[in-house]
Amino acid sequence: MLKRGDVLKLVRVVAETREVEIGCEECFERLDSFAELALSGVEATVAMPLVGDHLNKCEDCRGTFEALLTALRGA
Amino acid sequence: MKERTNEQWLMELRGPNPDEALADLYELLVRGLRAALGGYGGGIEANVEDFAQEALIRITANLGSFRGESRFTTWAQKIAMNVALTELKRRRWRDVSLQDLLARREVADRGPTDPQLTPEQLVLQNMVLGELRRVVDQELTDRQREAVVAVLLEGMPISEVAKRMGTNQNALYKLLHDARKKLKRRMKAAGLSPQEVLVAFEEG
Repeated sequence: MLKRGDVLKLVRVVAETREVEIGCEECFERLDSFAELALSGVEATVAMPLVGDHLNKCEDCRGTFEALLTALRGA
Repeated sequence: MKERTNEQWLMELRGPNPDEALADLYELLVRGLRAALGGYGGGIEANVEDFAQEALIRITANLGSFRGESRFTTWAQKIAMNVALTELKRRRWRDVSLQDLLARREVADRGPTDPQLTPEQLVLQNMVLGELRRVVDQELTDRQREAVVAVLLEGMPISEVAKRMGTNQNALYKLLHDARKKLKRRMKAAGLSPQEVLVAFEEG
């Protein structure tokens, strides 16, 4: 089932795997704070590393975060 | 639109006359959704008001869960984005079943190898591929394998895969995390350093 073209994708995400990661629920709960930090110029991934790490790995949550940033900048 | 503190938002929305606050919040959500979804095209604009309405319902039903760690309007916008994107993903993937996605992969991988690979690189790639296949096929549970393929390799949104697997997004993320940790341990046990694998496949 694993194809040659899958190897890079899979190994990259496996390489970045940490013992402790937060799930989507916890990330979502903190996303508003994270977004405000990011917009204020603070290095949000340093201040909230678990959220930053989750967003790096979860496309769904990253999509919500990017949409939120755009909404906050545009609204 | 009137400027409000978090406390004022909550007080007005919970109070006997919430209409003005609701109208202002609705307007704010619509502006934010237009800004965020502007690049989607495909008539999304027509849905923005529906998304804002749905978000308003969820926001007012869950005022108690606002923790005050951000501006109320940021928290509200977050909910609106989630409402909109969840629906857009549902529409985009509604005709894709997990079975079809997984069945497609059962077709043998007949893609050509890079002709620029040296024989040594090809041997290494084949060895790595063989070992990864063994780990994925034999050491992950069926559910872990299904989730790894659907989310990580096929790019199906985790929320959509979760629905099809009869679970929720949070639980599926944890299942995937367990699978990734297992893969990481097994790769290490097999002497496969991720960095070496990446180099072997990127240099081709």
